[in-house]
Amino acid sequence: MSADVILVIVIATALVFDFTNGFHDTANVVATAISTRAIAPKPAVAMAAVLNFVGAFISLKVATTIAKGFVDTTAITTTVVFAGLVGAIAWNVITWYFGLPSSSSHALIGGLVGAVIAAQGFAAVNGDGILSNLIVPAVVAPPIAFVVAGIAILIVYRIVGKLRPGPVGRGFRLSQLASSGLLSLSHGTNDAQKTMGVITLALVANGDLSAKGFHVPDWVVIASATAIALGTFVGGWRIIKTLGTRIIKMDVAQGFAAQAAGATVILAASGAGYPLSTTHVISGAIMGSGAAKQVSAVRWGVAGNIVTAWALTLPAAAIMGAAVYAASKLFGNGAIGPLVISLAMLVTLAAVFIRRLQQASPAPVVP
Amino acid sequence: MIAAVINTDALVKMAYSSVLAGVAVAVVVSIAILGLTRSSEMRREHRAGAAAAYTAAAAVGLLLAVAIVIYGLILVAHKT
Repeated sequence: MSADVILVIVIATALVFDFTNGFHDTANVVATAISTRAIAPKPAVAMAAVLNFVGAFISLKVATTIAKGFVDTTAITTTVVFAGLVGAIAWNVITWYFGLPSSSSHALIGGLVGAVIAAQGFAAVNGDGILSNLIVPAVVAPPIAFVVAGIAILIVYRIVGKLRPGPVGRGFRLSQLASSGLLSLSHGTNDAQKTMGVITLALVANGDLSAKGFHVPDWVVIASATAIALGTFVGGWRIIKTLGTRIIKMDVAQGFAAQAAGATVILAASGAGYPLSTTHVISGAIMGSGAAKQVSAVRWGVAGNIVTAWALTLPAAAIMGAAVYAASKLFGNGAIGPLVISLAMLVTLAAVFIRRLQQASPAPVVP
Repeated sequence: MIAAVINTDALVKMAYSSVLAGVAVAVVVSIAILGLTRSSEMRREHRAGAAAAYTAAAAVGLLLAVAIVIYGLILVAHKT
C-alpha cells in the first residue's frame, strides 16, 4: 500500500517536472522567432506546444536509456526517483525565477545522481558516463554553436547585405518558422521522453513492470506528451525575454543565423550520436550571431550569468536531490516523507508563481 | 585518462558536420532570398535574362533549403 502511494506521488512529481521542462525550455525554440517578429508570441508558443507533443510520440529510444550510463540502475528506488525529480524541479524553478536558461536534462540527471549518492554512496555513480555524455557536450556545444552562428551571420550579411531590407526580412522570418518547427520537434523527441523514462523506471522499481524487455506503457507516453505540451503552452516568458532581447538586440538576419545554427548543430550532433542540450546550443548561437557583428553588442554580463547557471546546474540539482532524499528518510521508509515533501513543494511552487505574477506582467517584450 | 572516456570520433564528426551544415543553410537560404529579391527588381527593369537567372538561383536555393529541412526531419525521427 505504502509503495503504491509513493509510486503515485512519483508519477505526479514526474509530470510536474515535465510541465516545468515545457515552460522552462519553450524559450529555446521560439525566443529568436518572437523577438524578430517572425511569429507572434502566442502562435509561436502554441506551435511549439503542438510539435513538442507530436515529437514525444516519434521515438522512444531516449526514454529507454534515461539514467543508464549515469548511475547504477540497481540503486534506483521510487524514493530516489522522487528525490531526484524534486531536486530538478527546484532548480528549474529557481533558474526560471531569475530568467536564466539552463538545461532541464542536466537538472534531472543531477537530481537523480544526488539522490543516488545520498542513498548508496558515490560508488553507485558512473563518473565516466557523466563526463562523456553530460559534461563534455556541455562544454563543447556552446562554442561550436557560437562559431557556426558567427560564420553564418557573416555569410548572410555578405550575400544579402546590400539588398532592400523589406523582402530580406520577410525571407528570413519565413526561414525562422521552419527552424523553430524543427527545434520544437527535436525538443519533444528528447525531453518528454526523459520523463517517460523516469516514470517507467519507477514502475519497474515498484514491480509493476518487468525489468526485462523494458518498454514504455502507452498511458505514460500520452501523459508525458500532454504535460510537456501544456507546460510549453503556458510558456516561460521570462526566459524568452532573456534569450530574445537581453543577450543581444538582434536583427532578423541574426535571429535566422542563431536559430539555423542551433538547429544544424543539434541535428548534426544527433547524426553523430552525440547528446546536446538545446538550451546550451541556442544560447551559444545567439551570442555568436551577436559577437560576429560586433563583439560589444553582446551583453557579456548576462551571458556570464547564463554560463554560471549552466555550471551550477548539475551540482546544485544533485545537492537538492540528496537533501530531499535525506529529508524524506527522516520520516522513515514509508509514504509519509514523499507526501510531506510533495505538499511542501506544491505550496512553495504556488507561492513562487504568485509572487512572480504580482511582480511583472507575463507578456513577452519584443524589441 | 579523460581522452579514453570521451568519444573523440563522434565529437570531431559533430564539430565539422555542424560547421558544414550551418554554412550550407546560411548560403542556400541567402541565395534563395537574393534570387527572389533581385529577380523582381530585374523584372521591373525589363531585364528578362537576368530575371530568369535570379529566379533559377532562387529556385535552387529554395529546393536545397527544403531538402535540408526534410533531412533534418529524418534525423529527428531516427534519433537515438
